[in-house]
Order: sequence, then C-alpha cells, then structure tokens
Amino acid sequence: MPEPATAREPVLSIRDLTVEFSTEDGVVHAVNGVSYDVYPGETLGIVGESGSGKSVSLMSMLGLIPTPPGRIVRGEALYRGRDLLKLKPKELRDIRGGDIAMIFQDPMTSLNPVLTVGEQLSEAIRAHNPDVKEKEALSRVVELLRLVGVPNPDQRAKQYPHEYSGGMRQRAMIAMAIANAPSVLIADEPTTALDVTIQAQILEVLKAAQRETHAATLLVTHDLGLIAEMADRVIVMYAGRVVEVGDVMTIFSSPRHPYTTGLMESIPKLGGGDDWLRPIPGQPPSLISPPAGCPFHPRCFLSNGRQRCRTEVPPLRPIDERDHLSACHFAEELIGETEGLGARSPEGVS
Amino acid sequence: MSSTLDTTPGGDARTAYAGDGQELLRIEGLVKYFPIRAGLFKRQVGQVHAVDGVDLTLNAGETLGLVGESGCGKTTLSRTVIKLVEPTEGKIIFAGRDITGFSRRQMREVRREMQIVFQDPYASLNPRMTVREIVSEPMRIHGLYGGRERKDRVSELLRTVGLSPEHGNRFPHEFSGGQRQRIGIARSLALNPQMLILDEPVSALDVSIRAQVINLLESLQQEFRLTYLFVAHDLSLVRHVSDRVAVMYLGKVVEIGTRDQIYGEPTHPYTQALLSAVPVEDPSMRGKRERIVLTGDVPSPANPPSGCRFRTRCWKAQQICAEEVPALVDRGHGHPSACHFAEVVKPFA
Repeated sequence: MPEPATAREPVLSIRDLTVEFSTEDGVVHAVNGVSYDVYPGETLGIVGESGSGKSVSLMSMLGLIPTPPGRIVRGEALYRGRDLLKLKPKELRDIRGGDIAMIFQDPMTSLNPVLTVGEQLSEAIRAHNPDVKEKEALSRVVELLRLVGVPNPDQRAKQYPHEYSGGMRQRAMIAMAIANAPSVLIADEPTTALDVTIQAQILEVLKAAQRETHAATLLVTHDLGLIAEMADRVIVMYAGRVVEVGDVMTIFSSPRHPYTTGLMESIPKLGGGDDWLRPIPGQPPSLISPPAGCPFHPRCFLSNGRQRCRTEVPPLRPIDERDHLSACHFAEELIGETEGLGARSPEGVS
Repeated sequence: MSSTLDTTPGGDARTAYAGDGQELLRIEGLVKYFPIRAGLFKRQVGQVHAVDGVDLTLNAGETLGLVGESGCGKTTLSRTVIKLVEPTEGKIIFAGRDITGFSRRQMREVRREMQIVFQDPYASLNPRMTVREIVSEPMRIHGLYGGRERKDRVSELLRTVGLSPEHGNRFPHEFSGGQRQRIGIARSLALNPQMLILDEPVSALDVSIRAQVINLLESLQQEFRLTYLFVAHDLSLVRHVSDRVAVMYLGKVVEIGTRDQIYGEPTHPYTQALLSAVPVEDPSMRGKRERIVLTGDVPSPANPPSGCRFRTRCWKAQQICAEEVPALVDRGHGHPSACHFAEVVKPFA
C-alpha cells in the first residue's frame, strides 16, 4: 500500500453535522454530531442500517433534503475550504454534478424517462461546461458510455431509459456521475437493486470510473461484503452517530465497537461454518426518543447494564495508533475478543 | 439443519404425516407460461416462460434452498407449488396426493399442511386487523380450535415466535419489520402445517434483524419438524439454511445437489459465476479470488435462447449448446448438472 490516505489534506470534511426532521410524532434526530474526513482518491465505505443516518448526512450536505421538515441544526461540510452548508442554492448546484457527483440506488427513478440517455448525459456535461458545443458533448457522451461498458454506445445513446436493462441503467448513471470528472463521487447503495452477477459488472465499472477520474468515492451500503471488497477505510454508523472508523483491514480483523462485531457475527458467510447466527438482540432505537447515553446500550453485550453506558454518550476516540476510532466506553475490553471475526486469515496479509 | 426430534403432529384427521427423510413434495415437469397480450383485442402475442420444465422433490424435515436471480422463476415456482398460480403443465404431488387438478375447496385442505410466508411483511398483513385476528384467521376459516382454545393457541403461537400475547391486541403498523415477519410466521404455523414455503423471508428486513428471524425459523423447524422450501437470492443465506440447494436460471433448474456439493463442488458455469460474484466479507481476500464476471444481461424469458439458456452468457458455449437442451442429469460428479461441459471448479480452494 502507498502512503496512507490520511496523511494528505482531506478533500471533504464533515464537522459536527446535526440534522433533524419534524414529524407528527415528534422530532426525528436523524444525524447527531457526525464528523469525518474524506481523502483524495480513497474509497470510504459508510456502513449502517436503515435509519442510521448514512444517507441523510450526505444528502443534507448537498442540499438535497427538503427543508422543512428537515433542518440542519449545526455543523460544517467543508469542500476544499468552502462550507457547503452555507452556499446559496445556485452555488451548490454548480458543485453538485460537477465537483461532487452522485450515483443512486434506483436508476429508473433517477433518470428522466422522456429524454434519451444521450440527451441527459449531454445536458449534464453542458450544464457545467456552457462552452461545450452540442456535437462535442455528444462525442463525449459516446466515449463515456463506452467507458462504463455500454455496448454499441452510438446507438444506445439515442435510446430512452426504459429501453435499458437495470444493469445498463446503472451504467448510464455512473457515466452521468463521472461526466464532469468529479473529485468526490457518492455512491448510495449503487448495486442494491441489482442481481449479483450484474452487481459484479457494476463494481468493475465503478472501479474503472474511479481509476479514470481519481475521485474520492463514498460508498454507502449495508452490505459488509461490498465494503470488504471495495473500501479503503470504513465508517460505521448507528442511530445517527459514527460509532467506529478505521481502515478496512483493521475494521474487519479487529473491530472495536460492539455494534460492528455484532453485525459481523449476525451475517451468514459464504465460506463459513454451520454455527447458529448470533443476532444482535432487540430493535434499532427510535430516533424520536433515543436511549440516553450510548444509543447502542440496550442491545449491547458488552454494556451489561453498566451505569456509564446508560448515562454518558461515548465520544468517538482513538483507541490505537492506526487512526482507528471507536465510540465505546469499553472498547479496550474487546481486545483479544474480536480478532479474526470478520477475516478468516490473519490481518496484515494485504 | 434436518431435525431428528420425533414430536407427534397435531393429531386429528389429516393427511398422513410424512416421516423424516420421506418424500413430502414432488414436482414433475412443472411448466408455467404467462400470456403476453397486446393490441386492441388483447390478443395473445407471446408467452413468458416463467417456469419451464422443473422436477424437484422435497423430503420431510429438510430445507431445500432455491436460488437464482430476479426473473429466473423461483417465486413463480414457489407460488405454483401451493397453487396461488395455476400450473400450465406438469404435476404437483404433495404427501402422496396429486394436487395439480385440485379445486379451490380441495386446496383449502392442502393448505392446512402447506403454508407460505411472504417477503414483504408490510404488504402481507391486513392493516385493519389486530394481530390476534390475523393469527387466528386461518383457524377461523378452517373452523378449528373454537373459543377459549383458539385464544390460547394464538397466545401460544405469539410466544413461539418471540412476541408476547399482549401484542395480540395491537395492529400491524405498531410493529417493526422484523416483528411483522414474526406475525406472518405465527399465522403460517396456526394450522400446524408440515411444510412452509419461505419466499425471501428476510430480504426486506434490516441486517441486524435478519439473523433473529433466521434463527427463529431454524428453531421452529426443529421443534415442529417442518419442511422448508426456502426461496432467496442471497447465496450466503441459502447456504446457511439449506440441506439441499437448487439453482435456477431462466425458468429451469441448472444444478441441484446437497449444500456442500453446490457450494463446494459446483459444476455448472452459472453456479460458478454466481458464487464467484458474491462479495466476501474478508478484505484480505480482495483480489485473490478469481472472479467470473459474466457479460451481458439475462435474456428475456419471453424469448429464451435455443438449447442451453445460459449459453448467451457462458464462456464455455459451443455449437452443441445452441442445438441441444442439456438435461439435468448426473454427469459423473455425484449430483445433477444441466451443462454439456460440466466440471467441478472449487470456489474456495
């Protein structure tokens, strides 16, 4: 591995981001003081279940949550020194789809059904580069479609999204996202709607796109397999908080948060044994009235009803020298307990 | 996962209870075509070959996993088995009786023994009924367990699936996805069936909740000697729950065998590609596994390729693959494979 990504200047820094939604039932605390950095060229995996705040934190940074009911309570999202949360809608539009681009889960609802794929791609290019002539944009479109592996790109550019299969639509989405050579690429569950053999194709395309653009990629997913396969570093989120951060080998070989270890033990492994799965007990917490103290404590095997877990929110703190952070009061108790949990081979084999 | 417990079933006059390891369900040459209609007079212009000649058997107490990608016909097959969808051709033999031509009334009796749990716990429970009404509905329809006994049985069922009897007075919207799926499972157990069809039972649930429901299904199987037809697209999950596994592609079973045969010694190129495509939860394996990335998409089931249906995406395809449909037979590897060029490739060597 070359020098660690964390040695460089981050391209994107989220600081103390807090987002709420007003609903009939009360205020939903979707994101609670989330901070993390994204470094140039890296793939940062963001893992969490539905309701963990993994998508909302990204959407709010890009001005994509409806306000109201949403409200950004505080925090910063620094992109190359500018706070995205303070930008005017027009300024944010220039950044969105240009410097920061997105790939969504469902390509059918993200593509315009009444425009051909070529028209949409060329619109995406020309919106950010007004000087580019239509003809020039079109040849770039064909080039992009070829890059993402759409066969017969000349003909395919003239077709509408409904004439594309699911996998092809996702390729078109990726082409659109990288059209303006973004420096940050956000992929929110990019393969969840796809079959596994198509997913394998899309992951190859995503890697190729990343090689081409050198974009920092934020891969948002609930699939630990995808994270293991794609990510350089990992952020684990639970109940609107970051609970663990580390490089991918460290997270899988020596997780230091009971939620992370719980997740790893609860999924069946393709090459695993016949043991019973070890589920995380209970339900994800209500975000309207989250538990006091550590939000994970009611489901935690480590907490054991300890006072501190019930009263004090554990800060995200370094637990060893490897830029490994955990938000557990008793993270050190996991040392020796969790080694080799996610990985079958010893760590450091990379 | 097969059980060795010999609990006696719920007594009364019902179909013979198949002993462990005995054949409970047999499907022969099952075909389901859906018509494609178009134009002013809705003339039939073609048909979708959803299930196209499937033979399967299920033995009492075992779990048969049915895997494949969307559109392969696994859901249609599972619904045809319980006759929510009428088969076009073929035979379904359940507990020794040919139920293929059974009327709705006759099927009602069969459904005491064979129940289905659906994927979406939000759509499969009536929002206007209390949990107690939902779970007792099968008993009401079948006129079983009157009054006090029925009430006790609902409480017992709720406890069995890890809910409490007090939950019975609430409505489905008051429950999380995992709890709703438990309610659906309680309902499916109400008549003490021999077999459950589980159609993607956990794919709508959160990752941390899935294991709870899977463990519940496994312990219920042991407790009640249930036979499972487990339909899912998640290969790791199917490996975990199944005794035997059938792999489907475009309406046909392409390979079938014990769990260890399918996952340890797959012989069909499609099975091999599927297994190699699953991301593995181990970053140290990255780049070390040989990945087969298939080209192209699944062809339309309205117009499947001639010969072997997988040949359009197969790296081994030859002339014969276009001309001759490969039969699902043992080609010398100990389990049936529908490939002219079947050979073992160990995925985790």
